[in-house]
Amino acid sequence: MIARSAAVFGFNEYSRQIAYQIRNLYRDFGLFVVNEEEKKAAYEAGFLVELVDLSDDWHGIEKRFDVSSLIVFCALANDAENVFLTISLRATFDKLNIVALAQDNESAIKMKSAGADKVLPSLQIAANVIADMLEKPIVTKVLHEVLYESSLLNIVEIEVGENSPFAGRYLHDIHFKTHYDVILLAIVDHELGTTFSFASKGHNHHIDIGDILVVIGYPDKVERLKQAIKGQVWPRSE
Amino acid sequence: MIGQWVVTLAFFLHSSLRYRSAKNFVYNLLENNNYPYKKYFDYFMILLIFISVYILIRHVKHEMSQSWLTFNNYVISVIFLIEYLLRLWIYSDNAKAIIDQYENDLFLHRPFSLSHAMKIIVKQKLQFILSPSAIVDLLAIMPFFHELRLLRVFILFRVLKLFRYARSLRRLISILGSKKFELLTLALFALIMIMVSAVLIYVMEGNNPDSPINTLFESVYWAVVTIFTVGYGDMIPVTPEGRSVAMLVIVSGIAVISFATSIVVSAFTEKLDEIKEEKLIEDVRKLERFYLICGYSQLTNEIVHRLRKASKQIVILEKDPVKAKRAQGEGLFVLNFDSASLHTYQTIKIHFESQIIAVILLEESDVTNIYTALTIRELNKKVTICSILHKPDNRKKFSLAGIDEMVNPHELVGLMSKEISHQPVAFEVIHALRSELVGTVIEEIIIDRGMSERFYELLLHPLFHQRLSMLGIYQTSTETFMFNPDRTFEIRAGDVAIIVANRSLANEFKNLLHRKRVK
Repeated sequence: MIARSAAVFGFNEYSRQIAYQIRNLYRDFGLFVVNEEEKKAAYEAGFLVELVDLSDDWHGIEKRFDVSSLIVFCALANDAENVFLTISLRATFDKLNIVALAQDNESAIKMKSAGADKVLPSLQIAANVIADMLEKPIVTKVLHEVLYESSLLNIVEIEVGENSPFAGRYLHDIHFKTHYDVILLAIVDHELGTTFSFASKGHNHHIDIGDILVVIGYPDKVERLKQAIKGQVWPRSE
Repeated sequence: MIGQWVVTLAFFLHSSLRYRSAKNFVYNLLENNNYPYKKYFDYFMILLIFISVYILIRHVKHEMSQSWLTFNNYVISVIFLIEYLLRLWIYSDNAKAIIDQYENDLFLHRPFSLSHAMKIIVKQKLQFILSPSAIVDLLAIMPFFHELRLLRVFILFRVLKLFRYARSLRRLISILGSKKFELLTLALFALIMIMVSAVLIYVMEGNNPDSPINTLFESVYWAVVTIFTVGYGDMIPVTPEGRSVAMLVIVSGIAVISFATSIVVSAFTEKLDEIKEEKLIEDVRKLERFYLICGYSQLTNEIVHRLRKASKQIVILEKDPVKAKRAQGEGLFVLNFDSASLHTYQTIKIHFESQIIAVILLEESDVTNIYTALTIRELNKKVTICSILHKPDNRKKFSLAGIDEMVNPHELVGLMSKEISHQPVAFEVIHALRSELVGTVIEEIIIDRGMSERFYELLLHPLFHQRLSMLGIYQTSTETFMFNPDRTFEIRAGDVAIIVANRSLANEFKNLLHRKRVK
């Protein structure tokens, strides 16, 4: 389910950036802090915040958000507290989508064990970007533009819906590059869960309803592919 | 008149570029350890020494041909003599000494004193002549002057010349030199002990017909053999008095040996860090291409881990000795130096353009990173500098300081969070490609001359078709990215293709692209 509301915990340099980036993406957005100092800093930065106690009863969250469509970012400054927050939320909400921030790999493993769906190891992320910037400068530049900048090129997920003419066909029968001018990067097999496999593995995957295709392309081309997948435009003969 | 002539000559030599460069060349060859050709000169001299010693040993029991002996006595000696004279020449600057004296006399309105200038020159040259290494050099030339059998032994002084050419031997001498006072004290103590015990044993045993110790020389010999705990047993005291002296000498002998051992060990222990540091600097100078990271932290560890995967060499500068030690414990190549100090780069003498791929600034404050960047820019304008940016507000200051690339981890995490919220699978895909954890990689291929025609042909090869995706071509001339180009798009030499494939398949693609023909 696509999240319609988001909550960010903590107010520090990381959570501030997360809040800046995502607050406009959701209908309902909440920023939660754990002490008065953070509360003051958040007010000064122009955020409305709520003070929570980590040992509190978390069911208050349920009253504020629809938990089934909520994404939570655990971004407290202290890794140990962040692990505690993650495990507290997971203990209360089975299905909650939790993204946790970890300073190092050791904490990242603990966050994962505590039940985070996705962990962002900040040091590893910075290290990867710095190493890529120096070793693969062009790849880094292109990917950065595709992912984060307002470049024309987009990376998009397209779900194969019911009645899609793509369902039941094989990947190799659809020439994404030549007929749609997009590049298929990966596919999420609906039957195998949420794990994806790269198209470059060469498997001639059987496309089923519910599969997700991850493609890169210009917006108009991607839109045409979306229409074709929906069946609004009949797929071009291969 | 002579004085005026000498001054003119001095000024001529002082201003002559040819003379200066010749002297500089000789200096580099003989004394400058950083001069790349010095080692070849050293190897050559070491070879001459070994040949000399071989001839000496061989000549003891075998007849040597006259040509070998001539080579040894004259050719090698002449080479050594030339080297000695060259060292004498470069030791001081005569022209400068004369000019200084001339200008000094001129300033004080006195007539130029040639004798005073000569005194200064002779004094400087005598300093060289009387230095231990110069004495060894001179003695090593001695076989040249006479072919007397006794003088042949002087060849052994040539072995001592090895100290000049082998850096490790020079280091040993300098380490022991740091304990000069202790070693002299020990020598004095041993000398007094030898004298006292030799006289005592002579007094006790000299008149005893049963004793083998009858002369003062035999007493001294016995004392030396005993005090240094060798004890051959060829001469032993026979009287109770003599044996009592022997007991005392044996006990004090142990003291001498343990004192000597402790001096040498402590000298080495004290200099150990210095030796290690010198060795590290030497190793850095030998590296061909490496990344220079300034500042050690957890982030440094992560970056090193990534760069090592790409088989890159990394050198870290960390001024905090505790952190530097920790980094060394992690098996990293760390120099305990302040990366922001100009002195550091003057000491380690790295060549930015030929040795450094890029400088990565990972100090814990933006202030230090800017300061370090300015230091590096003072030394080199071209080297790529990448820095961690702690506060986004400082971005412009970083640019002004000459930092080419900067990464703010907070902004990165913010952007990633947006992507996770928006398109979680797409984010995972890109993250997996970047982290290279799943075997599929995103690679850059720089297109060389003659590759462009083969490129499209190879993409359709059954091995790569459906298994290797080409995202696009980055045109370096226009700095634009052409996404998913068709075959009509002209790829030029220097353009960069971006591909996504399994690592081994990507490598095979690159290999085939480099081959002349695609089968």
